Amino acid sequence: MDKPWKREPKLIGQLWAVVRYELLWNIRKKKFIGVLIVAFAITTLNLTLPVILRRTYNMPIEANPDYVISNSGMGGLMLFLFALVTVMNSISGEFEGGTIVPLLTKPVSRTLILIGKIVAAFITIFAAYLLLYAYMIVGGTLIYGSQNNLNLTPLCILGDLLSTFVWVSIILALGSLTKNTILTSVIAIMVFLAMNIGSSIISVFTESAWMLHYLPGNGAAGYIKVVGQPMVYAGSISTGTDNITKMIIQYCLHPSVNVTYVKVEWRGGTPQGGLSSLLKELYSEPLSLVLFRAISVAAAYIIALITLAWYVFKRTQILE
Amino acid sequence: MDLAIETIDLTKKYGSLVAVNRLNLRVIKGTIHGFLGPNGAGKTTTIKILVGLLKPDGGRAIVLGEEVHGDNPRARLKIGYMPELPKFPRHLKGWELLDIYGQMYGMPLQERRARIKRLMEVVGLKGRENDLIGEYSKGMQQRLGIAQALLSEPELVILDEPSLGLDPVGMVEVREMIREIAKDGVTIFLSSHLLSEVEQVCTHISIIHRGICLAEGPLKDIISKISGTAILEVEVAETPDKIVEAVKRLPFVSNIHVEGSKVMIETNADGDVRPQISRAIIETGGTIIYMNVKMRSLEEAFMRLIMKSG
Repeated sequence: MDKPWKREPKLIGQLWAVVRYELLWNIRKKKFIGVLIVAFAITTLNLTLPVILRRTYNMPIEANPDYVISNSGMGGLMLFLFALVTVMNSISGEFEGGTIVPLLTKPVSRTLILIGKIVAAFITIFAAYLLLYAYMIVGGTLIYGSQNNLNLTPLCILGDLLSTFVWVSIILALGSLTKNTILTSVIAIMVFLAMNIGSSIISVFTESAWMLHYLPGNGAAGYIKVVGQPMVYAGSISTGTDNITKMIIQYCLHPSVNVTYVKVEWRGGTPQGGLSSLLKELYSEPLSLVLFRAISVAAAYIIALITLAWYVFKRTQILE
Repeated sequence: MDLAIETIDLTKKYGSLVAVNRLNLRVIKGTIHGFLGPNGAGKTTTIKILVGLLKPDGGRAIVLGEEVHGDNPRARLKIGYMPELPKFPRHLKGWELLDIYGQMYGMPLQERRARIKRLMEVVGLKGRENDLIGEYSKGMQQRLGIAQALLSEPELVILDEPSLGLDPVGMVEVREMIREIAKDGVTIFLSSHLLSEVEQVCTHISIIHRGICLAEGPLKDIISKISGTAILEVEVAETPDKIVEAVKRLPFVSNIHVEGSKVMIETNADGDVRPQISRAIIETGGTIIYMNVKMRSLEEAFMRLIMKSG
């Protein structure tokens, strides 16, 4: 024990070592690169398709200063896919490949290893979102002219990260419990589908939309309404943890609006007065409350599930 | 006596199976200590407890003065461990892995880089350090396993089957490496199925069977204790009948048999009895052409002990 570093290794240095270990893995994962390419392809299509269509029909390309802000907020599927490809084998892959053995026998606590893996996931996804938003801003400005409300972009990235980390924590907890990447992925996909399909059914056909406020995913569907007016710009909104960014944008643009929840009420025969006559208003609440609740629910899921992952990981014994 | 490893009534159960049964192990600092036992004896389980991969169900394990009980990073700071058939992340390059592990030990950058360069040479991976581990052969991964175990210049190196997967040249190199490391006063705890390897490099051994320590101590003492003492092979110029009669009368001789002009004398004495035997032969008028002490092998002792314990 003659060398000072042997007595007390610096915690921050050890944490950075784990982050490097994981980051190098994340950026070399083919699945992650694939999802990033798909995300860029979708953004490119979104940017260029209206231009191509207008050119085809000899229509002028109009300036759209709200292009970026109205397209901000990743779709639920993209959030889920980024979470899945980044952390699906962060824990389970180590157990399956046997690489957990040399890792756990280094002088780093299991808590620090898990923190390092989470930090690396955060950096990886943050960098991906930063690139995507930068691409959208540059592309949007070049095609549709100067853009409004770009100062909201950092909040959008944070919102998307928070939404993604709900899925990250679900997948990490599953990985820690199952120690099997395929099982983790299958269960996570089933949860994602159940939350999205189930929430649509519950939201549209029942009066139980309130329960969706407390589940991860798409949440309940509602309309943004200013009291006394029928509807404001950007009409419908979903309130789940996947839609935090869209709610942040709406809240920043229209801070005093309400969200009104509706359900479809089928009375038989041909609806008089169009499809909107089938919608029954259930109840309303301020958007500020909806946003605050979604952020709190997301934070609660992240804390609870990461604690679960930590507890299981800490107690796991390496038998093989 | 300074101990590198001490276990006191160490116990580990898997359901109803007792893998390690009140094991008392003492590994003296600065020794090359072989850890032997048949398959399923509890060797790997014991090692996993020592490095914090498993939690014991009873007893204590103390490594270099640090109590080991589950996740204790401080205890692992002074240990270099190479698991049996080590697996490393395939996405990392050889040097990246060692650099990251070195950082986990808190090694400064310059020291890390110098040490990695040196170790890559020592384990024979020079020139392959920039390749992804996924492209390494089994033998190369084994060599990388040895390098990462030695990376932090540990006080105790635990090697679980270090020669597994290596070619004969690699095996010899590993033995040389072990001897070299031990010269610096590093304690080496070596689990191996290759008894000849253990016999060649170890100074001390522990033999366990069904989780119980059957024998422990200096290698030569263990062999002689288990197998009795040496066999003396004596070649004489004359017909050995008279010589056999004379030698038989010596009190420490337990058995004699003759193969042509050779007399095989089994003794149960602790010291060197060659002078007494020579004198007895010469007194009968015999002429000694050749005399050799044949030590019992570790393999023989090991088998005898395991068979005896049932």
